[in-house]
Amino acid sequence: MAAGGGAAAGRAYSFKVVLLGEGCVGKTSLVLRYCENKFNDKHITTLQASFLTKKLNIGGKRVNLAIWDTAGQERFHALGPIYYRDSNGAILVYDITDEDSFQKVKNWVKELRKMLGNEICLCIVGNKIDLEKERHVSIQEAESYADSVGAKHYHTSAKQNKGIEELFLDLCKRMIETAQVDERAKGNGSSQPGAARRGVQIIDDEPPAQSGGGGCCSSG
Amino acid sequence: MLGTVNKMKHQMMLFFFQRGNLPSLLLASRKKMSLKSERRGIHVDQSELLCKKGCGYYGNPAWQGFCSKCWREEYHKARQKQIQEDWELAERLQREEEEAFASSQSSQGAQSLTFSKFEEKKTNEKTRKVTTVKKFFTASSRVGSKKAEIQEAKAPSPSINRQTSIETDRVSKEFIEFLKTFHKTGQEIYKQTKLFLEAMHYKRDLSIEEQSECTQDFYQNVAEKMQTRGKVPPERVEKIMDQIEKYIMTRLYKYVFCPETTDDEKKDLAIQKRIRALHWVTPQMLCVPVNEEIPEVSDMVVKAITDIIEMDSKRVPRDKLACITKCSKHIFNAIKITKNEPASADDFLPTLIYIVLKGNPPRLQSNIQYITRFCNPSRLMTGEDGYYFTNLCCAVAFIEKLDAQSLNLSQEDFDRYMSGQTSPRKQESENWSPDACLGVKQMYKNLDLLSQLNERQERIMNEAKKLEKDLIDWTDGIAKEVQDIVEKYPLEIKPPNQSLAAIDSENVENDKLPPPLQPQVYAG
Repeated sequence: MAAGGGAAAGRAYSFKVVLLGEGCVGKTSLVLRYCENKFNDKHITTLQASFLTKKLNIGGKRVNLAIWDTAGQERFHALGPIYYRDSNGAILVYDITDEDSFQKVKNWVKELRKMLGNEICLCIVGNKIDLEKERHVSIQEAESYADSVGAKHYHTSAKQNKGIEELFLDLCKRMIETAQVDERAKGNGSSQPGAARRGVQIIDDEPPAQSGGGGCCSSG
Repeated sequence: MLGTVNKMKHQMMLFFFQRGNLPSLLLASRKKMSLKSERRGIHVDQSELLCKKGCGYYGNPAWQGFCSKCWREEYHKARQKQIQEDWELAERLQREEEEAFASSQSSQGAQSLTFSKFEEKKTNEKTRKVTTVKKFFTASSRVGSKKAEIQEAKAPSPSINRQTSIETDRVSKEFIEFLKTFHKTGQEIYKQTKLFLEAMHYKRDLSIEEQSECTQDFYQNVAEKMQTRGKVPPERVEKIMDQIEKYIMTRLYKYVFCPETTDDEKKDLAIQKRIRALHWVTPQMLCVPVNEEIPEVSDMVVKAITDIIEMDSKRVPRDKLACITKCSKHIFNAIKITKNEPASADDFLPTLIYIVLKGNPPRLQSNIQYITRFCNPSRLMTGEDGYYFTNLCCAVAFIEKLDAQSLNLSQEDFDRYMSGQTSPRKQESENWSPDACLGVKQMYKNLDLLSQLNERQERIMNEAKKLEKDLIDWTDGIAKEVQDIVEKYPLEIKPPNQSLAAIDSENVENDKLPPPLQPQVYAG
């Protein structure tokens, strides 16, 4: 049920990516840096940073990326499933100076895996590496955790513009892979873009068996 | 009243028939016309061309061989008869419904008093629905074989045309105009759409989920066909899909919006009640990053509320989505003005919740369900509209489940506010202002000012009185003091002093002055 992911040759892929993480970990700065290349700038032209799109071309394949920001406050945690339904990728952001925010990421991972299985590509992102001195989450711990759940780990700094391009590029490549596996599973050709319809959960769960092992997400 | 409505509908229909430009006719008839003219070229019979009524004018096969004038008369007569019949039927049905309603009402008892009006409306709506369906049957049976072939040529399904209103007709026309630009593909699309609408007509008894399923299948099939067979570029497919959605949903709206087979309506009432019960929630409790003291911001808030309320008035899912998007844009503006930075979801969602709480949009759940069931999925899943719609769903879910914790309140406070015992606004009278409209705000301000003035006046009066008293006291005191002094030092009249008399006498040291000048004579 990768939403609108599949694309026949010559057509653009469109992916939905959700941004999850506690408030103040820098989710918004991250996307603004990626889409506008600006940080805490007075000249930011967009009215909002909660829904942003980006067009990419990866190896001749066109990709339309829609990035959905989610409200990070604890009181909205229960609304998560409404947001991440039908998404192809999730970026889970934590603040390396804040142990708590990493715990939150762990909760999200558990929930996402439970609800969406291996269909979704997970990225765990330690943001604010410019504050290395105040680091409270150890690199080894974070990376080994990411490995254990079939996610990939990234270090970024929205302030210094580090690691962000790579993060999104990598994620897109993985999502394309997943979509292709999906297409093949559906028996080439019969798959239509936009075929997956929200509300119509095709929960026969054959794709996880198809992708095998840790799925695409551990392949990186 | 119902009768009048029906009559109006008929008249409107009549109008379109007479003009002979029933939108459905255009594409379908072209082919037939060319066929007929060919045949005519082979053998022309004068009598066949004349009006059947024998008035001498030429007849037209499209008017059953009558000339335009005779056809109009014939048709009008038939129409009148049918209107009469329908009227009677409607009246009978309404009577029946009213009886049924009365009995159901009495069984429900007095407790549903507040709902009675609503029920009534619903019953009315039901009556109307029943009538239209019945009317369709009477119509087709009455139309007879002669007309049947014309009906066939003119419209695939009489039922579809019979329910046209001004709006549906306008949409149909636009749709056809739009499709004309696509030539053959357009024709194909039109045919499919018509077939689909006809199929949907017979599926009205199915559950709403099944109808939704059919619609979604249709969207998918049409889009796919356009891409694979028609080789239409994706951007155009999207545009065509929008038009198709507009066309079919304008027609289906009546039957699939808040259908009686679901409990959508109950949910509508539940959320409405819930929002009303939460009237006391302040922006502070939700941590809304919007400062309504700024006039521009409160302007935006008002606009956002208007947009979200307007959603209910639209028929097409896409138009409803557009309302949500417009509302969201106004929210973003409000946040941008207040915070001077782009709004993140952390800011946006609480504000949207606040707007929904303040606006209490009508039939919220029905609208959400309708959009979910009948919107073109590609739009709902990835686009910007989809994002705002998802946020609205989140806001509704939050409002439904909202508790003391989610507002950072203690359970006792929450319960007290919910029961209406106290309101947070009474305690902190400064905070009520964002909620009231300008006039009320001004009134409260004025009242406040008046009471302040009153207080001041009283104080001044008191002070004045005190001053008066003080003055009286003071004069009294002075008088008394004077009296005392007068008593203490009584005025004694003594005999005139000697020296005083000397001063007063005429020749004071007169003798010491030099003698007055005397005139002297000089020798000359």
